[in-house]
Amino acid sequence: MINLVRNEMLKLLRKKRLYVIILIIAFLVPLFTYAQFKEIQDQREKMGNQDWRTTLQQEITDTQNRLSSSRIQDEWRKFLKIRLSQQQYYLENDIDPRAPGAPTFMRIFVENSIDLLLPLLVMVIVADLVSSESSGGTIKLLLTRPVKRWRILLSKYLAMLLSISFIVLSVAVLSYGISGVVFGYGGWNMPLLTGFTVSGDELLTENVHIVPQWQYILMEFGLVWYVCMIVGTLTFMLSVLLRSTAAVMGIMLASLIAGAILANMVSSWESAKYFFMVNLNLTNYVSGMATPIEGMSLGFSMSVLAVWGIAGFIIAFVTFSKRDIY
Amino acid sequence: MKAVLKKYTLTVVSIVSIAATVLWLFGLGWTLQDQFSTNKKVSQFKEKTDSTSTEKQDGTLTIFALGDSLTRGTGDADGKGYTGYLTERLKEKTDQDINLLNTAIKGETSRGLLKQLQQSEIQRQAKQADVIVMTIGGNDLFQQGAALENLDNNAINGKKQIYLSNVKKIYTQLRELNPDAVIYHVGLYNPFSNMPDSKTTSSIVRDWNFQSAETAAGFNNIVYVPTFDLFQLQVENYLYTDQFHPNTEGYKLIAERVASLIKFEQEENES
Repeated sequence: MINLVRNEMLKLLRKKRLYVIILIIAFLVPLFTYAQFKEIQDQREKMGNQDWRTTLQQEITDTQNRLSSSRIQDEWRKFLKIRLSQQQYYLENDIDPRAPGAPTFMRIFVENSIDLLLPLLVMVIVADLVSSESSGGTIKLLLTRPVKRWRILLSKYLAMLLSISFIVLSVAVLSYGISGVVFGYGGWNMPLLTGFTVSGDELLTENVHIVPQWQYILMEFGLVWYVCMIVGTLTFMLSVLLRSTAAVMGIMLASLIAGAILANMVSSWESAKYFFMVNLNLTNYVSGMATPIEGMSLGFSMSVLAVWGIAGFIIAFVTFSKRDIY
Repeated sequence: MKAVLKKYTLTVVSIVSIAATVLWLFGLGWTLQDQFSTNKKVSQFKEKTDSTSTEKQDGTLTIFALGDSLTRGTGDADGKGYTGYLTERLKEKTDQDINLLNTAIKGETSRGLLKQLQQSEIQRQAKQADVIVMTIGGNDLFQQGAALENLDNNAINGKKQIYLSNVKKIYTQLRELNPDAVIYHVGLYNPFSNMPDSKTTSSIVRDWNFQSAETAAGFNNIVYVPTFDLFQLQVENYLYTDQFHPNTEGYKLIAERVASLIKFEQEENES
């Protein structure tokens, strides 16, 4: 088994996809670092070199003023209200949620890339894992070996798991390493609040507790990895079902982007919450943001994703072992 | 050689990946444990709180603005409001850096302001201030321009009593937080002074202003700044299209008046 996985890993490395992905990340991170840096600078210019409390208070008052305007969408009002109470809570506990530093950048970067960027990168690796063997014809060679089919597929799946871990790790390392040049490498012990529960447009704070930033980041990366695994599994299934890599990519791309769009407009269509792509934003539950659809929670989203993932896994294995190869 | 390198890379990547998998699984497990177990409390994180600087910064003049939409600047094309123009004016007069903290909220009533003043951050900013400017009462009296259609004396008197007792508490609170800064409470004008009922409305506003000024007089260093006269004639030229908030010109008038008072204060200090 180990040799099979090793073989698959070798194939993956030969394709140089992992390097491409690392390159993409290494190119994007400086871009975002610069954007973030500009924002901080801009804020400093506007507000003077002020205490973060003053800045945060100013933001709170601005939000309050927006809320008091009557021409504001209900959706947006809910979002603002929740953010407002959260900021207030941070202020009361004397915690600056945005103290600049490489760990903070990492956190913000990963929170923003969990629903689209990272799944896309995963897709690039996984999409042709099986389909390329079918379209290239190498699948016949692979299956003539005296190894059970499910073991071959499992070795591919394990190789996928390893490379996803690798991608997530390189996101962590690169975003920390590169942004640290600008923001400094400190800030791992900064306290952050988690455990907010959103109910309607109220923010419940009874379970809120403080965790150091390193734990917070580790938790978020765990969730990111989970999301990537689910997206990976679904792509894997499509890769088994379809021969054309382009079709796999197209379907995954369409559903991921549809998810990003849907999340902004499904609030009144309740059953949309059973789609896997509206549930990708798991980190929002840790940081306490408003959910796209009422009644979603971390447990709910993780279960929905798990169901999709398991279904994808089963379909992939059943089809692969039963299919006629010719 | 190349093959050896390949093999080496493969081993490294595999080992790193396995380690990463363990790490992420651990993170995921921790999330579950952390998010689904209850009854944790925000632990004693308060220790560090007192490092907060409540000292006044030397060399900068901190203006702390609070109140309602007038202080916020509703109706001004540039969104600055009188606080913005006030800062501009003062900048011309002094070399000091001016730091404006505006915590005004549109539609704020005296009750809301009193509540806002209980927030620790607002209190901290109030302590830092060298000058405090505020507007309050407009929403108590007019309720967004609607209430004055009902000119019933009793109803207005009732509102006035509530307002006055709130304002007294606000003054007391501000004085407790910051005994030194001069407080400029910008008074009300009558936005309806070109309407048919202007005689009645004006007398209500005048009385309101008088009572407020009387309350202010009970405290040290609280200046009730009149604006009634500024808007008395030609009110239509100084109002925004909502016929309630001042426009840019109106805000400039208010700013000028407050600015002249602040300047006087500083000259006296210097001599």
